Amino acid sequence: MIVECELDDLLVMIGKKMSIEELEETLFLIKAEIERIEGNIIEIDIKPDRPDMLSPEGIARAIRSFLSIELGLKAYKVRKSGHEVIVKPGLSKIRKYIVGGIVRGITTSDELIKDYMHLQEALTSTHGRNRKKASIGLYVHDEIKYPVVYRPMKPESIRFAPLGHEIEMDGPTILREHEKGVIYGPIIAHQKKWPMLVDSRGEVLSLPPVINSNTLGQVSTETRDIFVEVTGTHLPTISQALNIMVASLAQRGGTIESVIVRYPDGTVDETPNLAPWKTTLTKAEIAELTGLDLKDKEIIDSLEKMGYGARISKSGKVAVSVPSYRADILHGVDIIEDVAIGYGFNNIEPSIPQTMTTGKLLPITRIMEKSRDLMVGIGYQEIMSYIMTSPDTLNPRMNRDNPTVVTSNPKSRDYSVLRNSLLPNLMDLISRNQHADYPQKIFEVGYVVVPDEESETRSRQVPTLCGLVTDNNVNLTHLMTEIGFALRNLGLEGKFNFVQRIDSSFIEGRCGTIEIGGESLGYFGEIAPEVLVNFGLIKPVVAFELDLPLSGEW
Amino acid sequence: MTEQLTEGEAAVLAGLLRTERKVPATTLATDLGEGVERVVSILQSLAERGLVKLDVIETETYNLTEEGREYAEIGLPEFRLFDAVQKLGGKAELDEAITQAGLSPKTKGIAVNWAKKKGLLEITKEDSATVLNVKASAATSVLLELLVVLMNGEKSVPRELGVAMEEALERKHVTALTSKAVHVELAEGKIEEARSLLSTTADGALDLTSEMLISGSWKDVRFRPYNVSIEPAFVNYGKKHPYAEFNDWLREIMVGLGFTEWFGPYVETEFWAHDSLFVPQDHVSREIQDQFRVGAPYSHGEILDETHYKATKAVHEDGGDTGSKGWEWPFSREVATRLCLRPHTTPVSMRYLWEHRESPQKMFIIDRNFRSETLDATHAQEFNQCEGIIMDKGLTLRDLLGYLTAICKGVGINKLKFKPDQFPFTEPSVETIGKHEQLGWIELGGSGIFRPEVTYPLGIKDPVLAWGIGSGRLYMASMGIEDIRDLFSRDLNWLRRRYFIT
Repeated sequence: MIVECELDDLLVMIGKKMSIEELEETLFLIKAEIERIEGNIIEIDIKPDRPDMLSPEGIARAIRSFLSIELGLKAYKVRKSGHEVIVKPGLSKIRKYIVGGIVRGITTSDELIKDYMHLQEALTSTHGRNRKKASIGLYVHDEIKYPVVYRPMKPESIRFAPLGHEIEMDGPTILREHEKGVIYGPIIAHQKKWPMLVDSRGEVLSLPPVINSNTLGQVSTETRDIFVEVTGTHLPTISQALNIMVASLAQRGGTIESVIVRYPDGTVDETPNLAPWKTTLTKAEIAELTGLDLKDKEIIDSLEKMGYGARISKSGKVAVSVPSYRADILHGVDIIEDVAIGYGFNNIEPSIPQTMTTGKLLPITRIMEKSRDLMVGIGYQEIMSYIMTSPDTLNPRMNRDNPTVVTSNPKSRDYSVLRNSLLPNLMDLISRNQHADYPQKIFEVGYVVVPDEESETRSRQVPTLCGLVTDNNVNLTHLMTEIGFALRNLGLEGKFNFVQRIDSSFIEGRCGTIEIGGESLGYFGEIAPEVLVNFGLIKPVVAFELDLPLSGEW
Repeated sequence: MTEQLTEGEAAVLAGLLRTERKVPATTLATDLGEGVERVVSILQSLAERGLVKLDVIETETYNLTEEGREYAEIGLPEFRLFDAVQKLGGKAELDEAITQAGLSPKTKGIAVNWAKKKGLLEITKEDSATVLNVKASAATSVLLELLVVLMNGEKSVPRELGVAMEEALERKHVTALTSKAVHVELAEGKIEEARSLLSTTADGALDLTSEMLISGSWKDVRFRPYNVSIEPAFVNYGKKHPYAEFNDWLREIMVGLGFTEWFGPYVETEFWAHDSLFVPQDHVSREIQDQFRVGAPYSHGEILDETHYKATKAVHEDGGDTGSKGWEWPFSREVATRLCLRPHTTPVSMRYLWEHRESPQKMFIIDRNFRSETLDATHAQEFNQCEGIIMDKGLTLRDLLGYLTAICKGVGINKLKFKPDQFPFTEPSVETIGKHEQLGWIELGGSGIFRPEVTYPLGIKDPVLAWGIGSGRLYMASMGIEDIRDLFSRDLNWLRRRYFIT
């Protein structure tokens, strides 16, 4: 996810003079990367596990602690506003949760408003799964008459002017016609009632997760105090989103106030909760995962550089306070990684590998290699084709009707199914090379995929060898001699035989089945003229295809 | 002293003396019963000695494309449109004229553009309708005549139709093929020299035979020399694909480092492709814009190991017994059994661990993966990945960096930098950046230590290091390939001339 920052603004927030190279090197060590610099604009790529860094403020905070400008846990004070959000019954199956907060005294300018909108978008698209799990709204605090009410409403009875429009529309019209309605409407469209956020006078704040109203929901450069709410289907996700949002706003000098959320079942929540949560690691766990023999002070330093609070007891227990805006800490290993990052990946000495094992190839790889050696020996040029191919090439053009594994969301028909045989791809290749010198003798060794109801993945992957010859004149007896040479040298002397075959890809009476140990494992023949015509070929072709044993045993 | 002629040179020179005129090398080859390539190569050596004069004559032959053939049969779209407007009284609405002309939606634009360009029709707007007016008095087309001539099998073109060739080529009605023919004659004033050379070579023996060896007569024989300084002709013998050779080389390195190769299917359940790797079920990488789903004949597979499934479900929902919070989200069997084309080779590592739960283990795979991309110069729907795992007691992040150093050294990259990275299934995660001779500092691949949420469901408590390298990129660099489609090139000439060497 790209975050666009203004370089001078970022450096002011970091509070240290840095060259671009120093900034780049620092970001490199904390998992971020400069994607592009143009004039004063700098684009920074943030990994998806760090939604708290999806704003210039969040990036500056991470750099400040990493460079020891402001070490350790950043404390955010939250005052009680006394304002309430009332949740009405009927939302538990629609969009159950809401959290909110007020940030007062923020600075706003056109650039900053753009920043807030970017953060809001970035958070809801990644962390909020395109608003399905969480969506964020910002409102002008002074114009709201509290309490705010979160309630379900019939789509037809919803009426307000959506952001950017002067005219009022009803719910279905907004979903049909408003740009955001078209994109995010599907999240609620199937519900009988839609979630609405209104104030105590009934003035509309928004239709979450779709769009704010044009009145209360329009933050401008005049706005100093903001009401922020996050609705969604997953309480931890929306709480994290709110924490990240208000912490970012507070970073611009705002003060944070909490609101009380009352659910219909009597549950009461006070949000945002910016208190760090606590967990414990041991020094041994840190050493086991990192391989670093760190002194107590180094561990504490490393954690504080990553924005944690930390204390170590005499018994080697590390008490860690995790910032409330960190959404990615699921397990102790996530904190231990931050110990390593705080210590600096550039300071970690690689060890010499010790694990003693004997390597080997798969038996089938050895058979495939052997097959390729034999084909090269007989004078064939190896080719490699895509696994994905066109259904037309596989079946109709080959005069075949073989079962095929089909993707449901292909980008193009040409690459929409999995090859169930190599021969069609080889035919396709020679049809594109009619200007090249003849004879053309080509082969491929690779996997084909065929549907199989019995298997775990409903398909079977078969290693296959396919060879093809085309010239002014071709000779099936000659090809059979070559197949015989290959089979004998694959250790199949006395185990294979050729039997007559009926196959619409080949000229009648000029094709056969390759049986190995009585089992039909391949075929050969002279391609039927109608198939040649289908591929636009004007010279005759003989070809064979043989299944190889995945297990390595024939 | 003049150098003696080789056997081949003598035969060719004698053949040329017999014909006493300029001939195509192919004729000479037929007369002598020799391959053309060999005769041309001999002629080149004779030309170097000033005995013969070569003339390379280029001829163009023209073939109709499918489109050209169609037009030759039914007429050019712009003229069909013109005729239609004329039939409709010299003025007609566009749609009406198109219907009258019987033009397909595909050729509609072609017809309008060219009719305008050639001044056949005038196009105006009346109200909202597009109206066509006949502008030319009558219309004949040299281009059509040209197409018809070519359809009738003429490979060369009457001069008066030549003017239309440029247009035919531009509109891709016709493809041109340039063929080169070598013609040869004796160099001026060299007849005597040639005769005398032939007479001196006449006494040398051509071949050393069995009879000579048995009878000992070889002792009295002087063998005619070959010209050993000629450049050998280019031929197409059998050989391997350069990308396959590159992958063979990688396999050799991996086995050398003690890794065992493993196999896993392209069609995977999302259970193996994502769930077992602790990728949340609502993660964007599982969406249809990122990965291919399998729709038919089956869209869902099955779960074979219910114990592994239950443990995996538990770590997703609440962390299970790993000490993790998990994703705090209900886990769906429908999603777990959904079939996809594997987007990475890491599920193969999981399948390996499922069968090998005791340390130590080292496994690798080099094989195909799929991402929902449209094929162009920089994107492909398929790519190869080379990746593997190391499982042993006491392995750490330092060991991971050590292995990465060893693997990168194996493929010839010695200068490395490591930076923290992020993957859903590893913690810590590392990105390796290496100094490549041609490309400078490049991203070599991602790696990390499998999360407990990944290994505990299999009962594995020992650390598992997982690494991958972007092998396609290394191959492209070593081959000087810039277009990603050339990895699986369908150009036989290219394949016949390219090779991989380390």
